[in-house]
Amino acid sequence: MTLLDSTRSRIRNRGAHNGNRRVGAVEFIAAAVALFLLAAALFPSWLAPYQPLAINPADAFQAPSPDHWFGTDESGRDIYSRVIFGARESLLIGAAATAIGVGLALVLGALAGLGGRLLDFGVGRLLEVLFALPGLLLALVFIAIAGPGVVTTTVAVGLSTAPGYARIIRGQIIQVRSSAMVEAAVVLGRSRAQVLRRHLLPNALAPVFVIGTLGVGQAVVWAASLSFLGLGEPPPAAEWGAMLSAGRTYLTTAWWMTFFPGLFIVLTAAASTVLGRGLQRRAVS
Amino acid sequence: MPILPRSLSARFSTAVAAAAATALLASGCSPAEPETSQSPVSGGHLVYATGDAEPTCLDPHVGGNYPQALVSTQYLEPLVSLNKEGEIIPWLATDWKESKDGLSWTITVRDDVHFTDGVKLNAKAVQANIEHLKDPATGSSTGYLALEKVTGTEIVDEDTIRINLSEPDSALLESLSQPWLAIQSPKALKRSKEKNCQSPVGTGPFKVADWDKQNSITLVRNEDYNSPPADAAHQGPAYLEKITWRFIPDSASRYAALQSGEVDVIDNVQPDTINAARDNESIEHLNAPRPGASNRIELNSGKPPFNDPLVREAFVHSANVNAAISSLFFDTAERSYSPLSSVEELGYSAPDLFTYNPEKANKLLDKAGWDQRDEQGYRVKNGKRLSLKFPVSTNQSIPAEISLFEQIQATAKKVGFDVNLELMDLSSWYGALAANEYNLVSAPYTKVGPDVLRILYHSDGIKPAPSGYFANLSQLDDPKLDKLLTEAGRETDPKRRAELYEKAQKIILNGYYILPLYDQQNHFLHRSNVEGFRALPTVSTPTFYDTWLSQ
Repeated sequence: MTLLDSTRSRIRNRGAHNGNRRVGAVEFIAAAVALFLLAAALFPSWLAPYQPLAINPADAFQAPSPDHWFGTDESGRDIYSRVIFGARESLLIGAAATAIGVGLALVLGALAGLGGRLLDFGVGRLLEVLFALPGLLLALVFIAIAGPGVVTTTVAVGLSTAPGYARIIRGQIIQVRSSAMVEAAVVLGRSRAQVLRRHLLPNALAPVFVIGTLGVGQAVVWAASLSFLGLGEPPPAAEWGAMLSAGRTYLTTAWWMTFFPGLFIVLTAAASTVLGRGLQRRAVS
Repeated sequence: MPILPRSLSARFSTAVAAAAATALLASGCSPAEPETSQSPVSGGHLVYATGDAEPTCLDPHVGGNYPQALVSTQYLEPLVSLNKEGEIIPWLATDWKESKDGLSWTITVRDDVHFTDGVKLNAKAVQANIEHLKDPATGSSTGYLALEKVTGTEIVDEDTIRINLSEPDSALLESLSQPWLAIQSPKALKRSKEKNCQSPVGTGPFKVADWDKQNSITLVRNEDYNSPPADAAHQGPAYLEKITWRFIPDSASRYAALQSGEVDVIDNVQPDTINAARDNESIEHLNAPRPGASNRIELNSGKPPFNDPLVREAFVHSANVNAAISSLFFDTAERSYSPLSSVEELGYSAPDLFTYNPEKANKLLDKAGWDQRDEQGYRVKNGKRLSLKFPVSTNQSIPAEISLFEQIQATAKKVGFDVNLELMDLSSWYGALAANEYNLVSAPYTKVGPDVLRILYHSDGIKPAPSGYFANLSQLDDPKLDKLLTEAGRETDPKRRAELYEKAQKIILNGYYILPLYDQQNHFLHRSNVEGFRALPTVSTPTFYDTWLSQ
């Protein structure tokens, strides 16, 4: 309940105090970062000077230089190229996991919000049980059952974020259902399906998109954490979390192996948060 | 037969000494007194930090792995030891003699040694230990295998025992020198297994005082100690009063603790750390490669595609190991071309067989019928891709070794091998091996003497032990080799034994069943005020008997 309340009150406050739609400097930077990441994910070979898996033992552990902007790793692979190629993997996992989470949450939320008191009670208790377990633990349990890998990691992150979304969606649906416009539509004799399609879903879903944008950043961080633990893609894949983990061994002698993949995880999460907040503000005001 | 350098340690310590001397001259300090002229001081508390797993039982008879050997060397002692030349020297035993037919050994133990619980060491005590090792209830693996040929024991007199064998065993004394076969108090062995695991009782220079699980073991000096091995530097009790044996699994934290002086000695030092410590004058390095097998990749010849010798040979030539070792190991490891560790006198090396030669590898694969390539560049035969499963235990392979495997994966890809590294924890890894779900695997094996070849490459080793593990991971099944290894295990004439083992190693190497990498790495770093610290020549475990702390 607290997450929902705070989100809603924040939305209201923002809406009340500053209704401006001006794009701030921070938002501009965030958009630029997001565009760059998107470009990296779609066309990595345009941006990366080297192949991500090309080893060159003679060039191992090179500090950042004009040849290798982010330095090289223990096998002489170019870290900048690996970070760029890793963007696709990380963003894809982030987006897919969020989609899975939101999709599952839609079903649960709609069941609870529209399905009557009994169903609402059932789904509510289920969500409470899921909330009792920390999200990452839920993901680890799923991986322990299904075995490590990219697909399981994605599904695991999606599953573990679903309860949070489901609560928001349920609250939103209940709120919209009792609003004046739905009442008016019912009074005017619109069918259930029409009410659902024209009033309930659009109004209940708008905030979900906003929160989903925020969630992508979170999902990227979680996916990187899981692959840091060795539960994601097997080596030598260029994946940010795995790169972070490989660099950890050499932290004292080759900081760049950890710093740059870490920086990109932070940038992705930050950019998606800033953009998500921006959307949130506009959606309400 | 080229004998590899005994170890890098001598060379390295010379380098360290030279560097230290240069540094002293350069900085214009008055030269410090040479270490040798200082006399050892008694007393002091040493903190050791291990990166190995914490043992589940401090009695190395139970199971029998390296983490147990590391710590038990401080409080338990075997019957014999080895000197630097690899010859058997007295420890708890003073005398040993093989019968003419080789079917029994008579061993005499010292008559003036007591266990730390007051029980006297005698022939009966040794008998109780051999029975304990052979008792299935003990759950011994390493010690049990080493005593496989022992059928029974007889007490000859108070201090003399006869060990009877089913067939001659040229490796018996080497086996008995290992910490996994150390002699414990027979009275203590009679306690429950749980109790003996908690606080084993031996004759060593230290005794177990306390075990704070997941944190540390406290060892205190045995004040009545009088049984050092023949190659020890002094007599009487140890200099150190107390050792705290800490468990710090994270390599960077371990080194940070050493740098700050929080701990005095660390083990399992990673190559980049050794490299970083070279410039640190208050830290010294000890390299003590483990005996037994070299670290190598086993090629599973028991199933396709490696049941074809041409494909094995192609793989060996497709792996650029040398470039990877020099970049990843900062010259702390030397390439091996032998199935045996460089500390094994009978090791045979064949550098010419293991060259990096992609053209040759390509030709061999064409010849073997893998002459098509798919769109990703991998070789294909009858619509099947040339894929190899390579399960890697993250508990046994250090990060630098995993990176080495990645580089082998990259160079092997160029000739069309699709190597799939699968990082897993120890139990999944054992599972993958037991299910024969591997084409490549790297598994260390430590043992004193060349008899390790019998364990690793005799066809008997393909059948899983009751635990499900089998040691012959290349699944080498060659009657000629079996015969050589069995014969060598019986042969007591040193010259003939050496010949037999050389022939056996030639079969293993020429058949491309393995890709040797380097010795089993065993590096220690210690603060320079830790004097007289050495590794035992048996399985290279550290001993702190002669160690003292200078100011």
